[in-house]
Amino acid sequence: MPRLSDTMEEGTIGRWLVKEGDSFSEGDVLAEIETDKATMEFQAYDAGTVLRILVGDGESAALGAPIAIVGEQGEQVDGAAPAAEPAAGEPADSEEAPARAQDASVREAAPPPPRPGSNGRATGAALRVSPIARRMADDAGIDLSGMAGRGSGPEGRIVKADVERLIAGGGAPAAGPDAPVRAQTAPQADEVRELTPMLKAVAARMAQSKATVPHFYVESEIDMTRALQLRAELNDGLAASGEKISVNDLIVRACAQALLEHPQAHRSYVDGRHVYHAHANVGIAVALDDGLIVPVVVAADTKTVREISAETRDLAARARDGKLKQREIEGGTFTVSNMGMFDVANFEAIINPPESAILAVGATAPRPVVSDGEIVVRHIMRVTLSCDHRACSGADGAKLLQTVKRLLQSPSLLLV
Amino acid sequence: MADMTYREALRRALDDELARDPDVFLMGEEIGRFEGSYKVTAGLWEKYGPVRVRETPISEEGFIGAGIGAAMMGLRPVVEIMTINFILVAMDQVINHAAKIRYMFGGTVGVPLVIRTPGGAGAQLTAQHSQSLEGWFAGCPGLKVVAPAFPADAYGMLKTAIRDNDPVLFVENLVMYNVTGPVPDDPDHTVPFGSAAVVREGTDLTIVAHSYTVQRALRVADILSRDGIEAEVVDLRSLRPLDAETVAESVRKTNRALIAEEGWSTYGVGAELAARIHRLCFDDLDAPVERVGGAEVPMPYSKPLELAALPLESKIEAAARGLLADSGITA
Repeated sequence: MPRLSDTMEEGTIGRWLVKEGDSFSEGDVLAEIETDKATMEFQAYDAGTVLRILVGDGESAALGAPIAIVGEQGEQVDGAAPAAEPAAGEPADSEEAPARAQDASVREAAPPPPRPGSNGRATGAALRVSPIARRMADDAGIDLSGMAGRGSGPEGRIVKADVERLIAGGGAPAAGPDAPVRAQTAPQADEVRELTPMLKAVAARMAQSKATVPHFYVESEIDMTRALQLRAELNDGLAASGEKISVNDLIVRACAQALLEHPQAHRSYVDGRHVYHAHANVGIAVALDDGLIVPVVVAADTKTVREISAETRDLAARARDGKLKQREIEGGTFTVSNMGMFDVANFEAIINPPESAILAVGATAPRPVVSDGEIVVRHIMRVTLSCDHRACSGADGAKLLQTVKRLLQSPSLLLV
Repeated sequence: MADMTYREALRRALDDELARDPDVFLMGEEIGRFEGSYKVTAGLWEKYGPVRVRETPISEEGFIGAGIGAAMMGLRPVVEIMTINFILVAMDQVINHAAKIRYMFGGTVGVPLVIRTPGGAGAQLTAQHSQSLEGWFAGCPGLKVVAPAFPADAYGMLKTAIRDNDPVLFVENLVMYNVTGPVPDDPDHTVPFGSAAVVREGTDLTIVAHSYTVQRALRVADILSRDGIEAEVVDLRSLRPLDAETVAESVRKTNRALIAEEGWSTYGVGAELAARIHRLCFDDLDAPVERVGGAEVPMPYSKPLELAALPLESKIEAAARGLLADSGITA
């Protein structure tokens, strides 16, 4: 079982794309493997022949456990299917074979002949759909673009059986990041439903985090009045381009800058050691109809607010469409979880290991505050920073939050 | 209904038509006293005499030409060509005359001629005597070409051919003469041209064939059925006119088409059908139309090589499974 995500501990074979006896070339996709985050294509490192499949479709195996035996064509493995042998199982004998075939009742089921192009890589680049599959999908109003290269036919062609599965609601052959998640509906009576791989991953990761990571929390109120003014100015200036900076973009930028200033609050506790991060890869929690996913703005400290904004908008849109790539959801060093749009005053978030901190952002609302002895109305945002106490002390967390606050209250600093 | 061989069904059709219509007569090499190389005309020389069952020299061009002339003058000759391979010396008569005369005489004269001839291979008759050339003739406007696969159709279609007012190439198959099947007792049982038959119903793919290959396709369908794959088998029966609509109707149901034939695939019956299928039901296809034909070599004499060159059940089955694999179905 290959490591296809940096946090997976086991993988599930979503579907084998080769069967015993099949030969493959380097780079051919052998199987689709569901990791804790996504469904990934498992490509062959080298050419060979599948001698035996050990872990079947839908079965799971621990990281590093053998899932299949490969070797040379014809090579014998204990119990393995003899490669390239006619399915009748009779000893291969080129002189005898045609004579046997004289008797029409003798079944000489040779393996299907190689189909033109069937060994090509399913790169997922091209959307190939058989005519009937296309028609059925059109009739059912199903968009197949997310399944490009993932069908059951040659070179990932989407065929009738794939669309039938989609229509039946059994999910795509690979219900991974490509399949948009649908909101659950209430049943008539209590009902047990299986978790999607993503929900399983969330459940496992959060339970592990809350049980093993010693969380502490630092709260603050940030005056966002000037940040909102800056945002309004920026958006006025950018109106022609169609771009729109969000409050969250400013928060991400502020966190990225602050993290670089506070390396003690920007390190991961891994196996008794501290891993210090050179760049702030800021994850942004995106709520889906059922579940969540955290795409990462890599090296946000090197990006302008405008760049962060464009990238975030793209990532969030694709997250909701189920079209994120695996590399776009890994490698985070910090997460921002913003529930301001749900009008929550404040909340506490669970750290997403191996990150050591996460910022929970509540709604920004006008409130009376005392400023220079006067009661004035300011736009206040409440935030809570959750920190891993193995990675940083309370003071480290407090300093980080202080810097975030300073940057957001003097938001022109975010532009330099 | 009575069970009889394909050979007996042909003989009965000839006998019926000779008895029914005095304009019908037979011509061919050794068809009288010797009863024909494959004994199709056994007993007819004794019954109808040497005028209506005429023996000819080995001169295919001459006696097909004589048949065309007799047909133009109002008779209904049934010419036997010992195997389809020997028709090649008479191609000018068949293609330039029989097929063209109605057109070139402005529709005033027809050629109600039947040429009966077996094609096929499997008896180590080697390169020059093992061909399936019916596709060549089926490409020629002015001819009708039929190739029944069962005794009942052999009976009914030979009668239709004899009663037809245009030239018909009636293609039999060497290994099919001993195949037995039920044949209706009705002496007026005829089977129309241009009407394919679904001889086995199925849901997962359509195998289209003609002549003896239909029987191979049925055996393949039985093999596939053991794995839960149900193949529909369509017997074309008639190559020209071609009933592509029945094929298309089947493919609309199964979404997959495999065409098997004993002749060479290149420019073959399958090539024509593949084009028709793509045109008639493109939006119903789940995989490209697949073809299986004889190996594209002169037929070898050696038995193992002959078997290797023939589109045996094993090849049809492998092609069917490949086609299903294209659709993500493995069994």
